[in-house]
This record gives sequence, C-alpha cells and structure tokens, in this order.
Amino acid sequence: MKILLIEDEKELALSVVEYLSGESYLCEVAATFTEAMKKIEVFDYDCILLDITLPDGNGLKILEELKKENKQDGVIIISARNSLDDKIKGLQIGADDYLTKPFHLSELTARIYSLIRRKQFNNSNIVRQGELEIDLLAKTVAVNKAVVTLTKKEFGLLIYFIGNKNRVLSKSTLAEHLSGDFADMLDNHDFVYAHVKNLKKKLNEAGCEQFLKTVYGTGYKWEG
Amino acid sequence: MGRMKNLLQKSLKQLTVFAFIVFALSIPSYFLLVDWIWLNELDENNELIAERIENEFNEQKISDEKLAQSIQFWNEIQPVSKVALIHQPLVKDSQYTVMRQNPYSTKEAIDRFRGLKTNIKINNQNYSLVVETNVEETEETVGYIAMVTLLFFLILVVGFWILNRRLSKKIWQPFQDTLQKLKSFQLNGQNRIQFQDTDTIEFAELNATLDKLLQHSIATYKNQKEFTENASHELQTPLAILKNKLDILLQSDDLTERQYHIAEEMNKALIRSSRINKNLLLLAKIENSQFDSSELIRFDTIALQSMEALQEHFKEKKIDVSTDILSNVEVKGNSGLTEVLVNNLLINAIRHTLPEGSTRITLSKSAFEVSNSGEQALNPDLLFKRFSRMSDDNRGSGLGLSIVQEICKLQGWTVKYDFGNKEHLFSVKF
Repeated sequence: MKILLIEDEKELALSVVEYLSGESYLCEVAATFTEAMKKIEVFDYDCILLDITLPDGNGLKILEELKKENKQDGVIIISARNSLDDKIKGLQIGADDYLTKPFHLSELTARIYSLIRRKQFNNSNIVRQGELEIDLLAKTVAVNKAVVTLTKKEFGLLIYFIGNKNRVLSKSTLAEHLSGDFADMLDNHDFVYAHVKNLKKKLNEAGCEQFLKTVYGTGYKWEG
Repeated sequence: MGRMKNLLQKSLKQLTVFAFIVFALSIPSYFLLVDWIWLNELDENNELIAERIENEFNEQKISDEKLAQSIQFWNEIQPVSKVALIHQPLVKDSQYTVMRQNPYSTKEAIDRFRGLKTNIKINNQNYSLVVETNVEETEETVGYIAMVTLLFFLILVVGFWILNRRLSKKIWQPFQDTLQKLKSFQLNGQNRIQFQDTDTIEFAELNATLDKLLQHSIATYKNQKEFTENASHELQTPLAILKNKLDILLQSDDLTERQYHIAEEMNKALIRSSRINKNLLLLAKIENSQFDSSELIRFDTIALQSMEALQEHFKEKKIDVSTDILSNVEVKGNSGLTEVLVNNLLINAIRHTLPEGSTRITLSKSAFEVSNSGEQALNPDLLFKRFSRMSDDNRGSGLGLSIVQEICKLQGWTVKYDFGNKEHLFSVKF
C-alpha cells in the first residue's frame, strides 16, 4: 500500500512515517506544494494524507488537481485548521475524510485502514480473522457465520482495533475516539471499559477467540 | 456622591450665586454713590440758593432798619434758611446733614436735611446764612435700589435659565451625539465611530482625541484577538507532535507498566491542553465573527442528537434525566455553534451533578433550559468568566460556559444562571 504524506512539519511527518511503517504501508513524504504536485503527477497512491497549510501553496489546490485529473487516490485532509468551512470545502472538493490536528496516530491509522478498504473492496468489503468475519460495508459482524449484534459504538471500537492491529491503545486514546471532542471534559473514562467489556463479552459468547488483550493494566491490544 | 446634576445646571447654580453676590454688593455701592451725588448736588444747590438770597437782598437796596425787618420777616417765612447778623465773618463754610421734623409737614415725620452755613454780605454787613434742603432718607434710597436690583437679578436668573435650556439643546448637541455613539460602541464590533462634524473647538478636539483612542483600542483589541488565534494555531503543531510521539512511545516493546502509566498521564494532560487550545481558538473565532449565525436551525434536532450522544454518560453516573423537548423549534443561529452550546451545557450538567442526582432538560419555543440538582448556589458573576472554576475538579478546560456565553452573544441570545430549590438552572433565551 502506498501512502503519500504531504506535510511540511518534519517531526510530524517522521512520527507518521514511523507509526505506519509497522504495517504493510510504504509511506512517502512531500514537504512542499511543488514536491507534492510532482509526486502526484508521476505516481498513484492508495491514500494521500494532505495538510492544507503548506509553505508554498494551499493544499486544497492539490485536491482540486487530483479531482481534475480524475485520480482515484483516497485523500484524508489533516489540518491544524479546525474551521468548519475548510472541512466542508475539503469534503466538497472530494476529500474522503478530515482529521484535525492534534490527532492520535491510531486514529489516523484506523481512518487510513477504512479508507483503503473502502476504495479497494467496493462490493464486498469483508475482513476475516479466524472465525471472525466483519462486513465493513454492511456493518455486520459474524462469528462462525452466526451474526453477533453489536451497538454502533461497539462496532466502531472493533474497527478501530482491527485498524490498529498489534498496537497498544491506551484508555484515554479510546475515550477520545469514542466521545470525540468532549472526552476530556468527562470526569472519568470508565465508559471505555464498559464498551470494551461488552464487546469482549459478545464476541466471547459467540465463540470467538480472544484477540483483544489487556496490556499494562489499562491498555488494549488487538492481536492478529 | 450625592445627586447628579448636569454640567449646565451646575454652572447655573454657581452663576446665580455669583450674580447674587455681585448684585448684593452693588446695593450699598449704588446707595453710597447716589447718596454722594445727591449730597454734592444739594451742596451746590444750597450754595446757589445762598448766592441768590445774598443777591436778592442786595438788589433791594434798602436801609439797614428795613433790612433788619426784612430779614426777620424772611426768617419767619423761610424756616429752612436762616439769616443772622454776625460781627466776625465765619472762617469757613460748613456743610452738614441733619435729621429733623419737616417744618412744612403737619404729620410727624423726621426727614433728612442737607445744610449749608455760609457768610453773606448784605449792605456790607456780615451775615451768616443757613440753608437746608430736604434729602431722601438713607433707608428709602437703599430700599428703592434694592428693589430695582432684585428685579434685575430675577430677570438675569430667568434669562440664564432660559438660555441654559436652549444652550444645552443646541450648543451641547454635538456632545450629546458623541456620548450616544460612545454608549452604543462595542469594542468587538470592530466598527469605527463616525463622529458628527462640529465647529466648536472643544468638541472637535474631544472627537478627534476619542477617535484616536478608539482606533488605538480597536487595533489593540484586534491584535490581541489575532494573537490568541495565532498563538492557538501555532500551538497545534507542537501539541500534535507530542501526541504522536506518545503514541509511538506506547508501541515500544521494552516499555514497563510504570512507564506506560506515565505516558498515559502525559496523554491525558495533553488531551486537556489540546482541548483548552481548541476552545481558545473557538472563542477567538467567535469573537472575530468568523461564523455565520443567520441560518435557520432546528434546535430540537440538535438537542436530541446531543442528548443521545451523551446519554451513556448520564447513565454511567446514574443521573435521572427528565426531558421536555418541544418539536419543530426553529431558531436563527449557527448549527455548529449551537451544537457546541448544547453539548457544553449538557456536559456541564453531567460533570457537576452528583451520582444519582437529577437533570432536567427543557426546550420551548423561546428557551432552552438545563437544570441539575446541587447543594449550593454558584457565583453568577464568575460562572461565565474564562478559567474561573467553580469546583475543585480541574479537569475541564475552564472555558465551556464562556463559550456558551459568547455563542449566545453572537446569536443574539441570552444565557442566565439561577439557583433555587436545590437546583442549578441554566437558561438560554432566544
């Protein structure tokens, strides 16, 4: 899987590259508008991570160019600008997703995972691990062909885990993923524990192998 | 401080007092002057009379005996002038004022007389002549002058008062205009005041100075806001780097449990910093009017969505939630901001309601209210201030209610806090 990261902040780019390198991703970096345009002209990417504010141009222009050329690369905008206008404009031009800085790398990875799956498996987008089968399109889960009913949040968690296989996810990271903007405003993150417990229980009762492990007491890791 | 008076009233009072003093002082001055002129004129008059008497006697050219008879007769019919034979001429004429009964008056009345005692020569014999003329009494003169003065004083005061009213309307009009404009001026409105042109130097100067001051304030305020926005913006990147590095740290194989927990604590603090930063940025953007608040939004939909998203948190704290949401409530505002407003109020209720407490959420045509059980009233002045926390719990960003207030301000709504029946009540009126 080829990913192009268009980001002028070197440290940020390094972190993303390092985090993604563990997966089967090949990650290239373009630090400027010009550099990005050159790469886009020559190569095709499965996913482009696009920072809007670049030193020599607006990232949205790159997006426009991509759409004009009818390229199929998936695009996730990563921006420090939490402006609703930018978000709407970006999505209107044809971005697939929008992530505001600062974000967790696990969140980014989960989004990349979903995006690439969506782009590549248009008709049947099914993830299999052992006896577990997840239909990303229909949003259903089955263990040994028997459907397991999950809540919206539980399903979201499951995808998050699958998208971050073999990675340690801390409770606070999950809390942020689950309740978005207001995670830190809530007194405790026990609701994360409740959701994870329910998910584990449902999968377990359906006869699914325990892929989700607890690490360091409060963290989680999906093994596979 | 006492009762407030306007500037012209104050000066009117001073002027009146001053005029009163001047007029009061003028009374004795006029009196002394008039009296002095009067006495001078009478002295002259007395001298003329004396001369005339002397001439008249001399022109008769009568014998000495006849003269003595005439003088006696004269003295009888002219009680106000007496001629008497003297052997030695008087060294000097003398003038005097005397108070006595008017000989021509039958009533008993003491009058003032001005007298002259002088030498005359009739038939080459020395005579002394006393001429006395009635003068107006002191008290009468003073009385008349005082009356006239008082009349003028009253005319002056009434004149002042009428002029004052006209002046305050006309001359002070540019000032009133400036004042009105200043009253309605809002620093965050960013509009410069266009002062009225005036040909009064003082007002023109005042307006120019105010204009300069306001421009400076607006510029400073703008700078400050831009600074907040820029600073928050600049902070995003280092925060993002920190967050990402922590994510990477968590993936290290040789991480101990203790190190993991330290990293997790750092992560929590980092989430909070990001939150504060985001909220500051949001506040700056609201204040910079970067939001359109003219769309028609369905408040009930937003409220229900928000409640659904937060339902599990109410449940977790075993908070009893009762709702009364009217449907089809349409308001003018910004949907994104309204969502933030509702979320902030609900999260506020979740955080500050004790476990197993209760929360009530009401939406009517004109108001959205969130109330929750509590023990003590909070200080409403501090409640909406930035970073003024009401509880020991410092996990929030300290900006939630400030944001609520700013959003209300932007959308022309009002937010109010009340406490009663052991319930905190936040009501947003639109």
